[in-house]
Formats: sequence, C-alpha cells, structure tokens
Amino acid sequence: MVKPIIETVDLMKSFKTKKSKEEHMVLKGISIKIMPQNVVVIIGPSGSGKSTLLRCLNRLNEPTAGKIFFEGYDITDPGVDINLIRAQMTMVFQSFNLFMHLTARKNVSLALRKVKKMSREDADRRAMEALRKVGLEDKADAYPGQLSGGQQQRVAIARTLAMEPKVILFDEPTSALDPELIGEVLDVMKRLASEGMTMVVVTHEMGFAREMADWVFFMDDGLIVEQGPPEEIFVRPKSERTRIFLKRVLSEVEALDPLKPKYDVPALP
Amino acid sequence: MELNWSVIPEYFWFLMAGALLTVLIAAISIALGFAGGILIGMGRISNNFFIHGITTCYVEAFRGTPLLIQIFLIFFGLPSVGIYFDPIPAGILALSLNSAAYQAEIFRGGVQSISKGQMEASRAMGMSYNQTLFNVIIPQGLRNALPAYTNEFITMIKDSSLVSIIGVMELTQRGRIVIGYTFQPFVVFIFLAIMYFIMTYTTSRLLRQIEKKKAIPGMIGVE
Repeated sequence: MVKPIIETVDLMKSFKTKKSKEEHMVLKGISIKIMPQNVVVIIGPSGSGKSTLLRCLNRLNEPTAGKIFFEGYDITDPGVDINLIRAQMTMVFQSFNLFMHLTARKNVSLALRKVKKMSREDADRRAMEALRKVGLEDKADAYPGQLSGGQQQRVAIARTLAMEPKVILFDEPTSALDPELIGEVLDVMKRLASEGMTMVVVTHEMGFAREMADWVFFMDDGLIVEQGPPEEIFVRPKSERTRIFLKRVLSEVEALDPLKPKYDVPALP
Repeated sequence: MELNWSVIPEYFWFLMAGALLTVLIAAISIALGFAGGILIGMGRISNNFFIHGITTCYVEAFRGTPLLIQIFLIFFGLPSVGIYFDPIPAGILALSLNSAAYQAEIFRGGVQSISKGQMEASRAMGMSYNQTLFNVIIPQGLRNALPAYTNEFITMIKDSSLVSIIGVMELTQRGRIVIGYTFQPFVVFIFLAIMYFIMTYTTSRLLRQIEKKKAIPGMIGVE
C-alpha cells in the first residue's frame, strides 16, 4: 500500500483585509492526498484558491487551520524546521523569480551551497548537470535579464531540480509566457513527469493536464469540487461547475488559437 | 582691496594638511554611517514592533534636527553630563550618527526595491530569512541604492566643513585661519571651494565606476 507523500487535512486559509477587519476565506477546508511519482494538476477559475493551496503546502502562506503531512510528518507543527522541508519540496513560480544579480549557474548553485552546504566546485558541477537537463548548458553564464521568458523558467526549473527534491510545486509556470515559449517549458515538465518526479501543478494548460496528469483536482470558491483521473474530469465531469468551467476554458483556448488541435468539449446537458 | 593669489602657494601645505583631515573625517564618518545605516535600516524593515519603533525614532530624530545642533550637543552639551570628547572624535561622532540616519533610509529604499518574489523563491528552496537577506536581497538592493549613496557621500564631504565650528583643524577651519593672516577671503574661499569640488567629483566618478562594474547584465541602462 503506497502512502501519500503529501496529505492535507481540512486545510483552511483566510486573509485579513487591511481596510475592513473581516477575514476573507480563501481555503475553506481542503483535504487532499498526493501520491508519490504522480503528476497532480489543480485547475479551477481565477480566485478559486489554487495558488493559495499550493503556497500553503510549503507554508509560503501560513495556513490558518488544518494540517499538512509530508511523508507522514505534520509540517504545520511549530517545532518543524520548515527550511528542511522546503529543500525537499521546491517550487517553480509564475514570474520565474530568478535572482537577477546572479548568472544562471549561480542561480542554481546558491541554495546548494547555502542549504546543502556543498562546496563551490560540487555545487557548480551539480548546477551544470541540472542546466543540461533543461537544455540550457550553453546559457550557464548568462544573467536572467539576458534570457527569454521560456529560458528563465527552465533555469528556474533547473534551480529546483538541482536540490533533488521529492516534490516540485508548479505555480502557473507558463502563465507569464508568450504562447510560442510555453512549449519548451511544458516539454521540460513532461520529461520530468516521465522520469517519475512527483509534481503538483497549478495551471491553465488544459492540454498538459489532460495529457500528463495522473490525478486532477477541480477547485472552486476555496473547495475541491471534484477530483479524479483526467479521463473522468475532462470527459465525464460530474459537477455542473466543472462542466461550465471546462466549457469556458476550452472554448477560450480554441478561440485564441485556431491552429491548436480541437479539444473535446464536454457538452452541457 | 587687491586680490592676492600668491597666498595660495604660500599657505599651500598648511591648507593641504586641512584637506587631508577633511578627507579622513569624511571617509571615517561615511564608513561608520554606512555600517550603522545597514543596522538601522534592517531595523526599519523588521517586523519586530520594538526594533522598528526604536530605529524609526532614531532616523526621525537625526534627520529632523540640524547637523550643526547635533555637533554642538555632542561637543558642548555632553560635557555637562560628564561625557567629554576632543573636537575630532566629537565631529566624527556627530557626522556618523547623522549620516547613519540618512544611509538607513537609503538602504531601506534599496532593499524594498527588490520584488517579494526574490524572497519567496529563495525561501521556497529552504534558505533562511538571513541567508536570503545577505545573498539575494542586499546584493541587489545595494546596487539599486548606489546612486542615492553617491549623493549621501558627497553631502557628507561637504557637511564635514561644519566641524570647523568646534575647532577641528580641517580644510575650512584652516582656510579661515589663513584669511585671518592675509585678509584674502575671496581668494581663500575660492580655493576651498575648488578643493571640496575635487573631493566630491572624485567621489562621484569613483562610485560611478563601481556602479558600472557591478551593473547586472540584461538590466535597463546596462550595455
């Protein structure tokens, strides 16, 4: 029996707005299980709490209530050294967030030296290996400002890969990219998935979700509305809300790019 | 009264000794102010209510009162509570404390110009807050703050002339002594002005070079 690598129990998150003192509930009790070596995709409309859920998993956003278990350990416990957990559960951001003052290689090697306490030589060697994996060995000495968006995001993926994490969290990794640059990032992600990396991906790329996901969560209004393998969610969604969301998103995608292969749009009853 | 330019060669080395002291006082005050500014600046961005409060009071107090009054307070005021300083240490102390307040704000501005995403990306890989601050945030923040630091350093060189009031034998004070001997205020003050300009211009060129050397390839305005 395989145990989940990440499990949340009734996770809640509310933000205080500055003006009024009332709390805004973003996550209203999320209980999910993420199995090792799975690609898990979280979809849902904007403002449904997808990114907040992802950012709660490594406590970049501190959950208000509920528990998060990573390999069976409760990481919401105040006694846990969250930095040790984060080194095994790294994150790729929508806006890349590369360190602008460092070359691609140093971007990758910094955390290796500071967190894993590797020597400069070892860290640089590991950094070059990671850059090779994302096909950017020749850009090792370039600064982020000299790279395209797609290249920056690949460096960001290399930066997390080099840590040899057990899970990588992807927070809308292609949303800030020009359409023609999305492919190169998705290709890298697909290769990671095929190598058995556990990935939790928040994305609007329904093509990627359909093709690569082992499990899909559909979120709306701070709750998991529906979950299942992609064949079920995309072809036979049970919930009305899922159906409306998919219909809108998929028709938008088609409207944007007539050359893209047509998706099967689940029909509304 | 005739302008007599020969007083300059006549008192040249006397004045240059003052210029040297001015450079020393300014350099020490700038360096102490820089270190102090980073400490106070870090307090200003701290989430700790107490630390934030104290450092904010410090900045407001030293920025909101005349430097001349601060010099007087340290040199003439502190002895009445039993703390005595010689003129030079008193001058350096006043200049450093004052500059630290300004440099704290420059540092804070630089650090806060860095996007939150840089902190998040670093923390998300397991680096601690301090590791992130010193390896990611401050190196970028200082670069962004360099033009503002240049302003402050130049201001410090010029403001160091104020310590002449408490008898420090720096450039301005020696100039006034020469005027006392020679009755040539125009000639001597022009010479002092030129000397200060040489110091400030050298500083600004030097910092511009550092700016260029430390510029991040691929950023706006970098070749």
